[in-house]
Amino acid sequence: MAKEEIREKYAVETVALTKKYKGKSAVSHLDMKVREGAIYGFIGRNGAGKSTTLKMLCGLAKPTAGEIRIFGKTVNDPYVARRIGCLIESAGLYPDMTARQNVLMKAKCIGLTDQGSVDKVISITGLSDAGGKKVRHFSMGMKQRLGIAVALLGNPDLLILDEPINGLDPEGIREVRQLLQLLNEEGKTLIISSHILGELSKIATHYGIIKDGMLVEQINQEELERKCKSYFQIEVDDVKRALPLIAEYLPASSPEVYDSRILRLYDLEDGAELNRVLVEHQVQIYASGFHHMDLEEYFLDRMDGGNPGKDR
Amino acid sequence: MFNLLRMDLYRMIRSRAVYICLGIMLGLSILCCFMVWMFETPEGQNMALRLGMVEISELAEMEAVGSVLEEMDFLEMFRDMGMDGGSHCTMLGIVVALFVCMDFNSGYIKNIMSSHRNRWGYVVSKVLAVGILNFGLIVISLLFTLLANLVLHMVPFVSPAQILFYLAWAWLVSTAFAALIILICVLTRSTAMGVLGAVFIGSGMVTVAASAFTDLFHMGRWVEYTLYFNLSYGPSAYSGAGDLKVFVVGLVFLVLYSLAAAVVLKKQDI
Repeated sequence: MAKEEIREKYAVETVALTKKYKGKSAVSHLDMKVREGAIYGFIGRNGAGKSTTLKMLCGLAKPTAGEIRIFGKTVNDPYVARRIGCLIESAGLYPDMTARQNVLMKAKCIGLTDQGSVDKVISITGLSDAGGKKVRHFSMGMKQRLGIAVALLGNPDLLILDEPINGLDPEGIREVRQLLQLLNEEGKTLIISSHILGELSKIATHYGIIKDGMLVEQINQEELERKCKSYFQIEVDDVKRALPLIAEYLPASSPEVYDSRILRLYDLEDGAELNRVLVEHQVQIYASGFHHMDLEEYFLDRMDGGNPGKDR
Repeated sequence: MFNLLRMDLYRMIRSRAVYICLGIMLGLSILCCFMVWMFETPEGQNMALRLGMVEISELAEMEAVGSVLEEMDFLEMFRDMGMDGGSHCTMLGIVVALFVCMDFNSGYIKNIMSSHRNRWGYVVSKVLAVGILNFGLIVISLLFTLLANLVLHMVPFVSPAQILFYLAWAWLVSTAFAALIILICVLTRSTAMGVLGAVFIGSGMVTVAASAFTDLFHMGRWVEYTLYFNLSYGPSAYSGAGDLKVFVVGLVFLVLYSLAAAVVLKKQDI
């Protein structure tokens, strides 16, 4: 009973999830945990294994090894299928049918007889005026919206969206962002993979970073903010000489050795004071200034094998 | 599974390919009825002469062909018009290939499979939908030919029991062929392969070529158990338990191909 309760807290939980294609691992021992009600930003480079992972969560690909639990149940449970809506890679739509017919098809597929819910998803994705238009005349952005509409049908509790804002114009991106936030406020859990990290950082509450099929890190927004907070970066000729001086004159500045010449100070308010101290003690300064790491920088840092904050 | 069937039928009704196929089949029926009428009846022969389609010297030849056609009954005429030669199977196969492969080409299969984890249901629904389509096409084609014969008085009618017997096994055997095309589509996910399969297998080219080859080694008996052979040479009337072989062949292949398609789909990722 207690075990079940612990599992229920997670919308998605994978244990050592592995997928191999012809002996090569696309996803390797992935332990992913997505809390119910979270917006989970799933990020990684092309070919890192994001889509493969999401496909396995949606039941479209069979794991080679490992376990997937969605709302505490196995992925093949019919109850799970009813609680998931997904948009994987491009939106899967019949080009010779209208937008409304495509949504109606999905409604029939899941046994939904309520016509109102078809109109509702078309309306909330902003396609009311294009409902009677054939999909082959749709722009990429409209197809993405329709893909989201199809995923939303049946009021799923978990939405798995792979690159949902691909091809959308800035206005469309804003609308989809607002829609996703609204859905999250209604209590839905969202897993979103996107390369547009700036957009993702506006809505995600948790992040999972995947590299070469392995989950490098899972952090929440607060942790990310803490790790990405402003810092003062200074490039000097000799870090070993600079560090004792900083410890003596600016003990509260939380220095981090980035490499043999670069130092980062996370709790420094006055950069001029630091420059003065180092110059007075004949430490040569090549560059200095305040920086703020955003999700993109953090992600790139993690991809390059960096580990922000490790030497702090 | 029935939700999937409802979805498939909804799409099928709106599929242009289905109406094009029906149009071609009816067009072929009109053409065949017209040819039979022209060769067999004095009015038809006169018209051919008037239109300059034949010359007076060719009229005797035409009458000889007409006398051969006179020995036909309605069911034989219907079978010769499309079922026996494989044109029905070819057309049906093309429609099935377009219908099934569209799920994969459009990516809609992802929407289906994410809400229906049971892949057997997908194949069963497709086979049922195609079976319904096949039934509709055969019955419409038959009714059309029946009407044409009623108007043009070309060949003698046969008993309804005979027609029903033929309809039952012809439907089963041609639906088994459609299941083979579903298997090809699920396996290759290629419309081109599905259409090629429909053309080469449906028209009997593969069976005839393979049979001719194995005949060289006196091993051609297997051909009697093929779908093409049974559809072309199956009985028009029930005369004994041996005539039920067509049902057995049709059913065995229908189950076999459906199972194979389901196994392939279950093993593959979407």
